[in-house]
Amino acid sequence: MAIECLVLGAGQEVGKSCAVVTINGKRIMFDCGMHMGYLDHRRFPDFSLISKSADFNTAIDCIVITHFHLDHVGALPYFTEVCGYSGPIYMTYPTKALSPLMLEDYRKVMVDRRGEQELFSNDDIMKCMKKVIAVDLKQTVQVDKDLQIRAYYAGHVLGAAMFYAKVGDAAMVYTGDYNMTPDRHLGAAQIDRLQLDLLITESTYATTVRDSKYAREREFLKAVHKCVADGGKVLIPTFALGRAQELCILLDNYWERMNLKVPIYFSAGLTIQANMYYKMLISWTNQRVKETYATHNAFDFKNVRSFDRSLINAPGPCVLFATPGMISGGFSLEVFKLWAPSEMNLVTLPGYCLAGTIGHKLTTGKPTKIDLDKDIQISVRCQIHQLSFSPHTDAKGIMDLVKFLSPKHVILVHGEKPKMASLKGKIESDLGIQCYYPANNDTVCIPSTCWLKADTSKTFIRSSLNPNFKFVKTISEDKSNLVSKETEATSVLQVHDERVAEGILIVEKSKKAKVVHQNELLLMIGKDKHDVQFAYCCPVQIGNLERTKGMDFALSKNVVSTSDECSWLHLLFAKLATKLGGNIQDFGQHLQVDSIHISVCLKDICPYRTTDGPQKEPAVFFCCTWSVADVNLAWEIISIMENLDLSII
Amino acid sequence: MEQHLGSVCECILSLSTNDKRLNLRALASARSLIINSSTSDSTISALFETLTRFLQLTTEPRALHHTLKLLSDIAFHHSRLSGLVFHSVRSYLLRSDSTRLSAESLAVLSSIAEHDRSLASAMDELDDRFFVSLCFGPSVSVRSWFLSNAFRFPIRPYVLLTVMLGFTKDPYPYVRRVALDGLVGLSKSSVIEDCGVIEGCYCRAVELLGDAEDSVRCAAVHAVSEWGKMLVASVQEMNKRYWSDAVFVRLCSMVRDMSMEVRVAAFDALGKIGVVSEDILLQTLSKRVLGITKEKKPLGQCSAKRKSLGQYIPKHFDIQACVAAGAFVHGLEDEFYEVRWSACHSLHTLTILSAKFAGEALNLLMDVLNDDSLNVRLRALETMHHMATCDHLKVQETHMHMFLGTLVDNSTFIRSTARKILRLMKLHDLKMFQSSIDGLLENLEVYPQDEADILSVLFDIGRNHGNFVVCIIKKFSQEIEPSCEGRLDFDSVRVAALLVLAISAPLSEAQKVCSIPSRIFSYAVTLLGRISHALKDVMNQNTLLAYLSHCSKSTIVDNSESFFPMIEGDIPNCSCIDMISPAGMSLQQGASENENQKRLEPRKSATPLLDCQLEVHSEVAKSIKLILLKINDIWFLVQKGCMAEVLRMLRSFREELATYMSDSLVSADTLAFTFQYLRVVKLLAKVWEHFLPPRKTQSYRIGELNLLLGKLDRNLKEMRYRFRGLSKEEELHVLELILVTCILRLSKVEICCHNATLKKLSMIISHAEFLHKEGSIEPYNFVVELKKSLGEIDTYNDGASCRPFLLKRLLESFSLKQFRLSGSPKHIKAEIDLPVRIGCG
Repeated sequence: MAIECLVLGAGQEVGKSCAVVTINGKRIMFDCGMHMGYLDHRRFPDFSLISKSADFNTAIDCIVITHFHLDHVGALPYFTEVCGYSGPIYMTYPTKALSPLMLEDYRKVMVDRRGEQELFSNDDIMKCMKKVIAVDLKQTVQVDKDLQIRAYYAGHVLGAAMFYAKVGDAAMVYTGDYNMTPDRHLGAAQIDRLQLDLLITESTYATTVRDSKYAREREFLKAVHKCVADGGKVLIPTFALGRAQELCILLDNYWERMNLKVPIYFSAGLTIQANMYYKMLISWTNQRVKETYATHNAFDFKNVRSFDRSLINAPGPCVLFATPGMISGGFSLEVFKLWAPSEMNLVTLPGYCLAGTIGHKLTTGKPTKIDLDKDIQISVRCQIHQLSFSPHTDAKGIMDLVKFLSPKHVILVHGEKPKMASLKGKIESDLGIQCYYPANNDTVCIPSTCWLKADTSKTFIRSSLNPNFKFVKTISEDKSNLVSKETEATSVLQVHDERVAEGILIVEKSKKAKVVHQNELLLMIGKDKHDVQFAYCCPVQIGNLERTKGMDFALSKNVVSTSDECSWLHLLFAKLATKLGGNIQDFGQHLQVDSIHISVCLKDICPYRTTDGPQKEPAVFFCCTWSVADVNLAWEIISIMENLDLSII
Repeated sequence: MEQHLGSVCECILSLSTNDKRLNLRALASARSLIINSSTSDSTISALFETLTRFLQLTTEPRALHHTLKLLSDIAFHHSRLSGLVFHSVRSYLLRSDSTRLSAESLAVLSSIAEHDRSLASAMDELDDRFFVSLCFGPSVSVRSWFLSNAFRFPIRPYVLLTVMLGFTKDPYPYVRRVALDGLVGLSKSSVIEDCGVIEGCYCRAVELLGDAEDSVRCAAVHAVSEWGKMLVASVQEMNKRYWSDAVFVRLCSMVRDMSMEVRVAAFDALGKIGVVSEDILLQTLSKRVLGITKEKKPLGQCSAKRKSLGQYIPKHFDIQACVAAGAFVHGLEDEFYEVRWSACHSLHTLTILSAKFAGEALNLLMDVLNDDSLNVRLRALETMHHMATCDHLKVQETHMHMFLGTLVDNSTFIRSTARKILRLMKLHDLKMFQSSIDGLLENLEVYPQDEADILSVLFDIGRNHGNFVVCIIKKFSQEIEPSCEGRLDFDSVRVAALLVLAISAPLSEAQKVCSIPSRIFSYAVTLLGRISHALKDVMNQNTLLAYLSHCSKSTIVDNSESFFPMIEGDIPNCSCIDMISPAGMSLQQGASENENQKRLEPRKSATPLLDCQLEVHSEVAKSIKLILLKINDIWFLVQKGCMAEVLRMLRSFREELATYMSDSLVSADTLAFTFQYLRVVKLLAKVWEHFLPPRKTQSYRIGELNLLLGKLDRNLKEMRYRFRGLSKEEELHVLELILVTCILRLSKVEICCHNATLKKLSMIISHAEFLHKEGSIEPYNFVVELKKSLGEIDTYNDGASCRPFLLKRLLESFSLKQFRLSGSPKHIKAEIDLPVRIGCG
């Protein structure tokens, strides 16, 4: 069994996220985004790679969308309405609520403003959204008999989720975009410690390690406060969703604490609508917003008022959030034209600005004049402040997540190639986890876990219910220290509970595997139990004794009569007892130490006797037998016996 | 009701013969009979008989379960029968073969034994094997119940350790968790000394840090912290640092856990580690791996060296310092305020360890002042305050905006804590000084209710930064000067503030020759009432007037110290208005009336300012003094019944003191005395709670008050006899506490031993009187009242009706005074070694 991951988008790039994963025969498409940088066929993932016959309904079992950003959801109406996919689509409730907003906004901009060919209509968006099944966090959805998915909180934007998918025993997580540090309105990503074969993670900031966000917030607040305290106006051009709410919470709180009375304005439009959604979707925000919700909804901004066009030229300080971000046109540009010439005012640019926009010109270099077009030139005397807030996790966050989940394999997507390569190296060397970063349209194959189901016997189950632990001192020898030629050994106390391990797995042909208790094994296979016994016939010298006693004993050299048998044994007992202490027991006919059994051997030819030379001294033979457990002890005793002389008292 | 008894008993008995279905009705009525206090004794006895018989007859587990429950109810509601119940349940326990029912009966037995000490010895007769066999059965719920209650039973620690350690391997996560909790409990009992065992427990806990279950990881963090502490204590001196670092880094690896509880536990544990290398500490403040820790050597020393010291660490226990990277950065920007609070709190103790670390941590802490949660902001400020008292607070210019922002915070707590820090802060340049003054003036403008405290802070800052004051006052002098009509703007608090700042300058050490125009001092006289109200902790109105009039004549103060000695640390906010330092007298003679001086003379010895001078300027002494001061405030809370808050505060004091324990420079005796005092106050507060009008339905265990009073007595006795060299006042303070305890005892009819207590009362009073006379110390109000009514108490020997009111009135007149520790008492200790055999087996 294997997991196959076909990367259709966001492989070694940022944009049009789309990964098709086949787990044990089930195919899931994670995200279906569009690339904002292209206007040709490259803007959509190459869906033909999924199915040559374009029969997507049989090729794909379900689609999972992580969040409402266009590079994750942008191609969805196209895929469902134009390409004809009609299977299940899963996304979280906020994503379902906000995606049509984003898609429609994009469609309008493309079609109405730029006059481009329509890729999908408003109807398509609506129809597509009807097919969507909304899921809640940590809700396990059984897509079909074998496939189950579950969403986990991802931070990033409202409603963003990481998705866990499991088919049979193989499991994986697709993170989408996520944030490991909380911001003012969203929490940090949160997931259980799962057993995973594969983790597909974004890697937008694969090498960046970001400092505390607090410092940047502090700078921002300080700049804004200073500006309004001196009577200036602050313009914050942002997009409607996410950043605007975050900064607004930050300012609103600060205003509250500092007792500032300067008005904060929101330009009308999408932002107002978006705020409404935020107010409703409180359960998807962070701890503080959720906890204070009962008394005060954090998105009911106390100091925020709606903006009226006449206020642009009104005297006195104020703060204004205006769309779109990057001052790429629209209302924010209109306000910028009027406010830029005064040095009292401040323009704060949160986040990244695309090249070519006024925002970009302001952040690169310090222009004093900006040519809007041939005729209009704006003189820029206001202060410029740039904020770099990002809702993506940094390299340390990615490492922390990978370390916490400890999957068997990691695939990096949604990042830049050289940085991904460096992160891959780090994951492999630091965490010892196999890592890949395939390019677009490449497939990565990894082996997946497969569990074999086995029956169990009742005795085994009963035995595993009862605890059965023991303590072992593991001796660890340090052999690396060759210089001193000493092996230093120290022991560490460890606990073992072997109740489960003591079962025996039986796999018979054409039968299901079965685990039984060790006592049942013999019964089951119908065989007798065999014990391995060791035996050795050991000579013990008695030379001197014979001489002193004279030759009364009319004995051949090596034979001892039965009457003497016991006396020899007693003699040996006395000798061994002094050497071994109280462990040894005398049973008359034999001696015993644990499983070691010693008796006098009267045979002329004993099979356990080693006859590697003529006997020089007179000796009595003792037959020793023992079982495996006492091997070491037995040889120790034998070596004592061989060096004994029973005649010396 | 009781007529039904016969039928109830029959019903119960019928269960044994016909146990197909439980008669729940009969059980319910039996229970209501038991808990009804008006049920006659004979009925209860009959019920008990029936139930006992039933216990012997039936085998049905459900019926037995209910029977045991009813029997335990009888034992608790009718204590005369508890012994009988105990024995009948015990005999059942010994023959029961069901683990579950054995556990249940054991639970009944132990709770009876906990109430009735005389039965405890009967519990001891059950041996370890019996207890332990319970958890080796197949029932998981019994296993986890037993493990979490194991400490209630008399089991030898080593047996318990084996069981607990073994069950950390259990496949059930809840069993693993309670086993880890049990290990934590054992680590506190401090009977385990074997190095190998300690290491084994520590390593097992470390393994479980990677458990799949949140609750197990959380328990593992506690266990790693506790056993890590033991491990550090057990290794040789040269390895201590290594192991302490290793435990610290190990805990750091848990701060990025996905579970909030685990993170909180990890930060709490980090704060408890006493010794950490500076480079590792610094690494926790940077998410980037620093040069020092970058090399892949496992912590500080190289492994070869470690091995040569005879320490072997299994490969997977090797841990690299870079794991600690950014631990506190993450903690302080965590989503959950619990985590942020805990991170701030652990910084509190760690910043003592290294000045460099404290400096870097301050950068982060300053940003926490912008936190959403009031608690976190307050904690951050308190941490800074603590840093300031340790002289580790190095505020830079970049911090000032954020810090001074807290002065206009809308929370009173935040503002006052911020001002407390400002008092101690060392401002390096004029710019910072100027912005601080601006901040305070803004504070004053927005929150006029803070006036008194702000003026006093300004006075302190001015004394500490005389040079800057002179510069600033020059700038502000226009504002202070009377307007063109020649009238000083009396209403302006701002002017008052600036005047306070101005008049503080001559007292500065750095400013021997004061260049503040002398007329400003005359202006200040016009606001005398206002200023002296604010500065009441430092000097009284007369002194202030004397000082001002002196300065308005000549601005040279020869020995500024003689007026108001510099006070380091917090200014005591005691309300003694008539304080004056004797050195200032000479000056005062000229300025104010002699009569005043006479009035004050006998009190000289009591002035806290003198105490301050006598005080050794060591940190600990300061801290002890602060704590003694704060205890004074606690009394108010005790009277209000905010016990949780009081106990929390006392605990934090104890923890604070405990950090000095290792400090060899500190007089251990003084510490011991303070600890003892804290214990007494805690017990007193707990006892006092019983005398407050009940606020909500609170239940106290039987005999709890008696137990508490006993403890209080014992502790007070220790305080009185085990410390030598107490001054008379100190002794009187202790005596007063003893008297209060007596009165408390007398007020509860059910526990007082009337005659003995009275005897003790009169004895103590006469001793107190003697001390008062000898030391010519004014007796406390409470003692005076008590002496007056002593006769009355005596006459109402039989607890007549008016006595409760009398006692109540007496108790009301008591309030905890501030304990002034002037000398250092000697702690008398004697240790007796007895050959003690542990356990019973």
